[in-house]
Amino acid sequence: MSDANKPNPAGSGDVPPQKKADESAAQKAAGSPQPAPVAAGAANAAATPPSAAAPAPAAAPADPKPKVPFSPILTKHINEPDSHTLAHYQARGGYETAKAHIGVTDPGALIKLVDDSGLRGRGGAGFPTGKKWSFLAKGTGKPIYLAVNGDESEPGTFKDRYILEKDPHQLVEGVILTCFAIGSKHAFIYLRGEFILGFQRLDAAVQEAKAKGFVGKKIFGKDVDLTITVVRGAGAYICGEETGMLSSIEGGRGYPKIKPPFPAVSGLFGCPTIVNNVETISAVTHIVKNGAAWHKQWGTEKSPGFKIFCLSGAVKKPGVYEVPLGITMREMIDQYGGGLKDGRKLKAVIPGGLSAPVLTPEMVEKCTLDYESLASLGSMLGSGGITVLDEQVDMISAIYNTMRFYHHESCGQCTPCREGTGWLEKVAHRFHHNEGHQGDVELLGDIAKNMRGRTICVLADAAAMPMQSYLQHFKKDFEAKVKETAFVEKQRTYRDEITPTAKTITATGAGPSALEVGSNQGTQRSGENKDRG
Amino acid sequence: MSPTSHTPNGASPASGQAAASAAAPRRTEFSPERMAKFHDYAEEYPNKRSALMMVLRLAEEEFGSITDEAMEITADLCDVSVAHVQGMVTFYTHFKRPFHGKHRFMVCATLMCALENNTDAALIQIKDRLGIAPGERTADGLFSCEKVECLADCDKPPVVQCDNEHFCSMKGPVLEAYLDKLLKDEGKPADAYKGKAPVEMDPRVPTLPVHYNFEGETEQGARRFDDKDPYLKAGEGALTTDVPGPLATPLTVPVADGVNGKGSTSNGRNGHDRAGGNQVNGKNGAKHV
Ligand SMILES: Cc1cc2nc3c(=O)[nH]c(=O)nc-3n(C[C@H](O)[C@H](O)[C@H](O)COP(=O)(O)O)c2cc1C
Ligand code: SF4
Ligand code: FES
Repeated sequence: MSDANKPNPAGSGDVPPQKKADESAAQKAAGSPQPAPVAAGAANAAATPPSAAAPAPAAAPADPKPKVPFSPILTKHINEPDSHTLAHYQARGGYETAKAHIGVTDPGALIKLVDDSGLRGRGGAGFPTGKKWSFLAKGTGKPIYLAVNGDESEPGTFKDRYILEKDPHQLVEGVILTCFAIGSKHAFIYLRGEFILGFQRLDAAVQEAKAKGFVGKKIFGKDVDLTITVVRGAGAYICGEETGMLSSIEGGRGYPKIKPPFPAVSGLFGCPTIVNNVETISAVTHIVKNGAAWHKQWGTEKSPGFKIFCLSGAVKKPGVYEVPLGITMREMIDQYGGGLKDGRKLKAVIPGGLSAPVLTPEMVEKCTLDYESLASLGSMLGSGGITVLDEQVDMISAIYNTMRFYHHESCGQCTPCREGTGWLEKVAHRFHHNEGHQGDVELLGDIAKNMRGRTICVLADAAAMPMQSYLQHFKKDFEAKVKETAFVEKQRTYRDEITPTAKTITATGAGPSALEVGSNQGTQRSGENKDRG
Repeated sequence: MSPTSHTPNGASPASGQAAASAAAPRRTEFSPERMAKFHDYAEEYPNKRSALMMVLRLAEEEFGSITDEAMEITADLCDVSVAHVQGMVTFYTHFKRPFHGKHRFMVCATLMCALENNTDAALIQIKDRLGIAPGERTADGLFSCEKVECLADCDKPPVVQCDNEHFCSMKGPVLEAYLDKLLKDEGKPADAYKGKAPVEMDPRVPTLPVHYNFEGETEQGARRFDDKDPYLKAGEGALTTDVPGPLATPLTVPVADGVNGKGSTSNGRNGHDRAGGNQVNGKNGAKHV
């Protein structure tokens, strides 16, 4: 019952519009004022047949680390026509694994298999999946739920989109296997509201599976029931946080809840709940199919397996690349991404979504793509969204944009986060307009420090971490934008001359276009603050 | 793809822009096929409240945007208060509201799209053709524009959504062609908005639900819900001429007394900055008696 499908004559964004934009982008390449690689990059990552993400890694030069050559697994079929249909999935052995295990294998053995494989959460925190499953409260007499996190709102991340739009059945099969392993009869898959096509495709996939008897009552003819419910969010980053997502599924504002109790003990509707990312659950399908040893042949000891990385920013070929964990960051940027555009120089890399602390070029040289390496560099692998910033990027504008994001997305429950993100944004805004006050650099550090570890969820940390890393590595950029005026004096002038919006327009230097006035509209979350003086 | 994908299937008398008009009788349900869908949800979800996100989507489809009437029906169906539904609708930014334009441009403004001025390129183009900057709507209510956060397609900036469609690399000729098509579909000349002043979108709740009065409230001449406009501008509300002066002595009487209009002290405290409008008793309340 494709919800958005029927009533919308437009079929709301089935492939054509997206395709259209991509194709035109490619055509545009010739006459475009942009240098050719931009369009090439755009067309490359497009989800259209010719040369999308997957083939490139397959053809990628041999790298020394993996013991076994690797070709994409989760994204293997995303470029084939109709890859989202049941027929296509079954033609390549789909649902055979579920059929072989449901009602046959011991659920505990499945959990052990996943634990042995060393699979770690792909949603951000990197928590070992098998271990998470084994924490599930047992014998409570309450139903157990699985909640799959398809919110994918971490800026710089666009991997789940491909699974949902191009190969949703592997997710459905993963859900079936996971639910059987953890003893759940009801799974929720939560997608962000902006995934219109993804919702249609996944919903259709669930219906197809239902019609075949893979989902519903007595699946695969065994005495196992399973309901899969696809929920669509409506544009809130905080619904990606696991407990925020649960609040949203329960029909409320997406407010995160205090932990402990962790969802595995008391989650959805107060019942034990496992929360996993879309990519994690999709990987479960392949691990159960091929075994733990198969999964461990790639990656490093502590970060086994493969992962989808999302490459964006100033590289020649941005897009999604599925690679074994443990390859070097240089390899990712230079070989998969084709290097920086127009021979530009590297300035910084955001390695794991916007929340991850930035890396300087020196750190990039040392960095490999696994959980430990990035942690040792003071950053994190996060969701695998790698953004390359080149020398042309003004780091101050970048951090201002970042802070604006967190201020907008803070849910407003905790004072340090609600006020702190707004405060960081305001001060960053001053720098953005070359009007930093003396003492502002210390002020930013102070606010960021005091936001960490004091809130219900880690969004406050996620906002503070990039700020701290920018302050650490790009302090000079901040200092260059401090005006000599002392703080108190400046404050007085502001009060006299305000309106703040007029101020924004007339600001000189690297100021934003007049269009910035008005900022984000249509929301009242977290006390939209227009007064940025 | 039709750009009018968000409009209801002719099932609804209310268009997206006009909130439920007072003249039409109050609807209590969606169209039959959407009600069927609602019953599906009610069966599938552990409780009705948890179906809220999906029922709000039904409401959005039914009415073209989430109007007051839509919120009331949703609240009734899901067994929650209208206040709760309003709370949801104002928290989640993706729901379409009456203050949005019929065609609602959502332009990603997060870092990866903003690099190399991609976001600005799209915004400037939209401003050029439609005269609207983020946060604005054309005066005829057809188009509106806003900045949104990452739309999860960061390798192909700028990313834009409009009318339930998702576009990447949406600038230059691609965007131009799309704007042309939208204008043509609306029967507007290409330069329809040249030199026309836009209006600012007002994200505040446009009106408060009109059907929710306390029993007997209106008969007794008490304040109606919609009198309680917290956003009265100066001069909009009936000003009382004799606003009590500032407190001479600290407030010692129990607050309840003051609220009942007996003690001018508490009136003076609560009412001095927004003279009138909000007060139940005293001069302002009198007009409803
Ligand atoms: C602010 C915030 C946003 C998050 N956003 C997402 C998200 O969009 N998608 C996701 O899968 N996990 C997100 N997470 C991580 C989840 O809380 C959770 O760790 C994850 O879904 C667990 O799944 P995994 O173990 O499979 O990684 C977010 C966490 C935080 C604190
Ligand atoms: S840390 Fe921020 S986002 Fe998280 S619950 Fe607190 S206020 Fe909400
Ligand atoms: S930053 Fe624009 S889509 Fe992610």
